[in-house]
Amino acid sequence: MKEIPNMDELLNSFIDGELPARQQTEVQRLVNHEEKIAQRLQQLQKCKMLLNSLPVAEAPPQILESVKASLARKPQLAEQSSVFDERAGTRHLLGRKVFAAAAMLGLVGILTAVVYTIVAPETVTQRPVAVERREPAPTVDVVKPGPTIVAAPFSGRLELRTSYLPAVVAFINRAIEDNVPSDEWIASDQSNVNPAHRMGWVKEPHALICGSESFNLLLAELGNIWDKLDSAVLFVDTEVFGEQVVVDAVTAEQISGIVNQDDSKRRMEVAKDFAVLNNMAEHLPGREILAAIDDTTVGLITPPKPVLTWNQKTEKKSPARTKENKNIHLTITVVGGD
Amino acid sequence: MDIYASKRRIDISSEKDAVLVRRCWQGDSAAMEELIVKYQSRIYNVILKICADPDDAAELTQETFVKVIENIDSFEGRSGFYTWVFRIAVNLTLNYCQRNARLRFSSLDASEAKAQYSSQENRVLKEFLSDNSSPDPAAMAQNKELYEIAVESLMKLDDAQRAVVVLRDIEGMNYARIAKVLDIELGTVRSRLSRARSKLRQILEAILQ
Repeated sequence: MKEIPNMDELLNSFIDGELPARQQTEVQRLVNHEEKIAQRLQQLQKCKMLLNSLPVAEAPPQILESVKASLARKPQLAEQSSVFDERAGTRHLLGRKVFAAAAMLGLVGILTAVVYTIVAPETVTQRPVAVERREPAPTVDVVKPGPTIVAAPFSGRLELRTSYLPAVVAFINRAIEDNVPSDEWIASDQSNVNPAHRMGWVKEPHALICGSESFNLLLAELGNIWDKLDSAVLFVDTEVFGEQVVVDAVTAEQISGIVNQDDSKRRMEVAKDFAVLNNMAEHLPGREILAAIDDTTVGLITPPKPVLTWNQKTEKKSPARTKENKNIHLTITVVGGD
Repeated sequence: MDIYASKRRIDISSEKDAVLVRRCWQGDSAAMEELIVKYQSRIYNVILKICADPDDAAELTQETFVKVIENIDSFEGRSGFYTWVFRIAVNLTLNYCQRNARLRFSSLDASEAKAQYSSQENRVLKEFLSDNSSPDPAAMAQNKELYEIAVESLMKLDDAQRAVVVLRDIEGMNYARIAKVLDIELGTVRSRLSRARSKLRQILEAILQ
């Protein structure tokens, strides 16, 4: 009998029913008449059967939950890394700008010197010099502005956990819109671009880059929802890349106390003190120590706290606010309670 | 008749999937949950048979659905949702296999293969291979020794061959769908499947020698 090329391929396709009807009949006839081919067919069929006999494994029951959890984790990680990248990039850019400016100044200096050596000796020395004695001009007392105290930039993240997720998110949205000028915050609502957001499986954080005035107004308003929170954790970025001071069970007053520090070292100390105190309070029965913690904030800047009820409409602030340093970088993340 | 019935089943399933996908596009999370619940076990099963580790399979299944959700807007419906989701799953798994050299079993050394199996397992395999009648698949599924041999033999195939065999003999896809999932030519599916089964036979015979 003539040897058929790719006989195995033909037999496999025959086993799988992937041959056209005419070819299927031809192979069947071959198998019926050629013992060798029939034997090979059986060998291949057994391989298929062996794999067919493998039991079907059931997926672990928590797949759906872990998908949701994974989606919720992703934006936080992306946001955190972008903040670090942004700061590293800013430093790099600043360094390059300083270097470029220094190089330009140097170049201008050299050019001036060259021009002076060529032109100046002739024009200056040949001219008669008229010296006029003048009375000193009366001095005018110009009120010079004193040295501006610029608060050290703050960078951090506030993670709020609540069982009243939609209400709290809505309140925060409104508070930000009312208190922080629109160019100072990023409405990171990506519901139009990210399906996971559209399906409500992920709440995108709010990224604020604002001055202390806006921040204090916002914080004062956010203080009204603190009793609706299950937990509030403040992550304060330190000068060491990737290192943070974590203040658990933080209060609005404590946040104000930390953020409004002018000196970054002092800020870290305050944050660490609050972290220790809150941690102690969490582990002590009765939580009486919380009152003591609140007393420690007396010396710190306390934001004005408007009296607001839950559904009361907040007063729209005037857009004509004086420009100030936008040195507070805060990301607010709201997560649903367990 | 059977072919038409199964084709009709797939078509109906595709129609249902298309409706669910459209609901996902509109932000309906319940529709996405339905799709995940519908396919999670099939995806997990295929991934497990390719990567052989239950924990990694669970993680890759989760990663598959995260990718599905993130990219659902770019799904154009040219292939069925079923094909699309399997393509993501198999690509992720094959990438994972490439990263993990520990999954590579390329040796066909008979003595090495033989040393792994007990006399009982060898006897069961011999009976299976020499039996001229067609054994009952249900009875085979109960046979623990045969199961272990099958899994080990499957893992000795290279990744690309294992993917084709798993999609055909475990997931039951036709050649055209396998070609779409793996993004290869139909002829490549035929030849790869043929080589994989031949190699599988060689591995089984090597165990007996």
